[in-house]
Amino acid sequence: MDFTERSTRIYRTKQLYTKDELESRESLCVHEQPAFCTAACPMKLDAREFARLCAGGDFTAARAMLERITPFPLILACGCSAPCAGRCRLGELPGGEGLDFPALERAAMRLGSPQTGRGLLKFKKKKTAAVFGSELFTLAAAAELARKSYPTSLYVRESDARSLVAACAPFLCPEDLDAETARLLAMDLDVHYSCALTPELFERESASRDLLCVSREYLALLSPGEEPDSVTLLCPGLGALARPAGGSGVLGALCDARRAGVSADRLAQGMDPATLRGEEGAVESRLYTDLSSAEASRRVSEPEGGYSAGEARDEAARCIQCECVECLKGCAYLRHYDKFPRILTREIYNNAGIIMGDHMMNKALNSCALCGQCTVVCPNGYDMAEICLSARENMVATGKMSLAVHEFALYDQIFSNTEGFLARPQPGHERCKYLFFPGCQAAAIAPEVVIKAYSDLCRRLEGGVALMLGCCGAISRWAGRGELTGETDEQLRSALSALGDPEIIAACPTCAVNLRSLSSAPVRGIWNTLLELGLPETASHAGATAALHDSCGARGDAHTQSAVREIVRRLGFALGEGEWSGDRSPCCGYGGLVSYANPDVASELARSCLSTAPGQPQITYCMACRDRLAREGAQSVHILELVYGAQAAQTPGISEKRRNRLLLKQSLLRDIWGEDVKNEPLDFRLEITGEARALMEQRMILDTDITAVMRHYRESGEAVLDAESGLLSTRCRLGNVTFWVKFTEDAEGYTVHRAYSHRMTVETR
Amino acid sequence: MPEDKNYYVIDPQGKLICHKCGVPLVKGDAVFGYLDNAFPVQLPVCPRCGFVYVPEELAMGKVLSVEKVLEDK
Repeated sequence: MDFTERSTRIYRTKQLYTKDELESRESLCVHEQPAFCTAACPMKLDAREFARLCAGGDFTAARAMLERITPFPLILACGCSAPCAGRCRLGELPGGEGLDFPALERAAMRLGSPQTGRGLLKFKKKKTAAVFGSELFTLAAAAELARKSYPTSLYVRESDARSLVAACAPFLCPEDLDAETARLLAMDLDVHYSCALTPELFERESASRDLLCVSREYLALLSPGEEPDSVTLLCPGLGALARPAGGSGVLGALCDARRAGVSADRLAQGMDPATLRGEEGAVESRLYTDLSSAEASRRVSEPEGGYSAGEARDEAARCIQCECVECLKGCAYLRHYDKFPRILTREIYNNAGIIMGDHMMNKALNSCALCGQCTVVCPNGYDMAEICLSARENMVATGKMSLAVHEFALYDQIFSNTEGFLARPQPGHERCKYLFFPGCQAAAIAPEVVIKAYSDLCRRLEGGVALMLGCCGAISRWAGRGELTGETDEQLRSALSALGDPEIIAACPTCAVNLRSLSSAPVRGIWNTLLELGLPETASHAGATAALHDSCGARGDAHTQSAVREIVRRLGFALGEGEWSGDRSPCCGYGGLVSYANPDVASELARSCLSTAPGQPQITYCMACRDRLAREGAQSVHILELVYGAQAAQTPGISEKRRNRLLLKQSLLRDIWGEDVKNEPLDFRLEITGEARALMEQRMILDTDITAVMRHYRESGEAVLDAESGLLSTRCRLGNVTFWVKFTEDAEGYTVHRAYSHRMTVETR
Repeated sequence: MPEDKNYYVIDPQGKLICHKCGVPLVKGDAVFGYLDNAFPVQLPVCPRCGFVYVPEELAMGKVLSVEKVLEDK
């Protein structure tokens, strides 16, 4: 199968998800849920942020937060029933106490400086308001309406401001009473003291006012038996706002005053006060907080005159700033983009909908390792892999997927299943009971291990062991290329069927998963077979302390994970199990073809695997993991290397990997099936310098590409001589890429000094 | 059609020689094409056989960056 380049002039899109599908995915991410304390506050104080500010000693900013949510912050601080403190997660720890928010609020009010300046210039609104009665609700409602720039009059029985505040908040100490009195006097509020609250007063004033608000006492006098609506607080008969019956507490009164303010706004605009009110009151938070590392602590007790700055900071510093970051803790990919799954999903969803213009999220959705770690560590099982994979499939389907990202890997799969493919029964057996499937990476990185493992299985298993060298299709699956995956599945299925559908023994956990989906026969890991048969005599027992890196292919497969651990134990190793092993293991950076799409993220993923056990040897049971970890400088070893006493190649290059697969196939054909394969030798000398080799590795240029370019040169003679450097440059278009080689020539052949490529075509005009 | 872009100067003149024809390359008109987009450019071309030379610094620099931009279209 060949891949042709797409056109940017095809304007096709396909919706990635329906609105419901998108929302059902997004709703699983609780990172943006409010902290429990914040959710519990009906006044919507961001209590987590408030605690953070106090812990940092910024009491002025903390005070400003309180002044924003209510016109009388000291009344709130002194009389609040503090549902936030009750919901504080610190209180759930054995022997722990929730944060003392009211004490912190009092400290912030006392220690913080008042806001300076007059703020924004506000114009008075045309609608006017009148508030009657002296209860905390009416006092606060009048202040709320004044803050909203309604010219407001407040009619009270008391003779002065201090006695009014004292009547509304009798619990205030003299200093706080003075402070709140001063606050009332500073308000743009027209207070009429010593008023007789009679029906005549209401009748007279209501005629000229647009918005009315009354105390419970006054309501009973004016309209006996009438109750306000529980949501809008509007008494339909009287046409005034009032507090519902049974309302008690300072927090409740201040909250109701705010709701009265919302109703007043709606009424002033001539709209139904019951609709479009926004979220009011306390809510339930779905946030998840990991308390495993939180330590129980007691409250700093508040002395008579309130906290000192140091005490307030200490109390606030107990706050653990509840947030859910479980996925980011484990995944280097999410850390790299510094986005939570909900945001990432929305951006990927929007990316799929772009018809013309830049698809900014292409690289991000191609950088996910599709390893499934997030699904395990997320308290709600967020599946970023499913989202990134379906986005890739969507892009392939609409012709938006760049071929450049995955082309090399896809051709690698095709190579493994054509030139590198081999499917044979064991000599002497027409149909075999078993089939050994080492996987493309084992053949590429450790051919010697494959040979030894296969001969061991042939020797010790009854009923014949067939061999299949090839790729399980993981690459095209990860790339979202359904067509190639289908072809590969069909090829493997028919090869398995020709061999009599034997039981598959896979040496790669990812291959095992893919083969299970297409084989009717059982599929097991070679580790299970080795446990049953016992380790061969080649097994080294010189174990040491090491870390086991679990493969993402074995996520959720406790059977494989425990079998591998048992083998490692028998090999004499002492394993340290960390927080990030087993199902929680991060990806090495090979999964999802990240190493092709985004080498930086692949590198970060591998380093993240190593950070859990720095300096320790890493035992893996996937050859790709072994290779990726070795590339980051780790001493990594595949479990089969230890079992069969054969070493894998140390970080083989892209050409060496292909050559290893080919040579493995040829050597097996020769030694086991007695078929000699003739390799056509090159009819010219071709030497590649170290510099050129490094460039080829970086630029994904294969030895075979260089050979093809040089063959083309020999036929066409086309080249350019750079008289300064003395180097010849020639080129050849192979598939979708033009390869250029800079070389020198002599009588026997060529020395390649540099190589590069471009995907653009170039023609003369 | 936008004006021709010149991203490479043969310096000194005559240092690039067509190996097949034995004549110096000259500045000539060429078109880069990718994903159904075309960009007229000026590149070193053999006046006789028409061989177009794409220098390494151009291929790994401007050409690569334009490729990447187009791939995200």
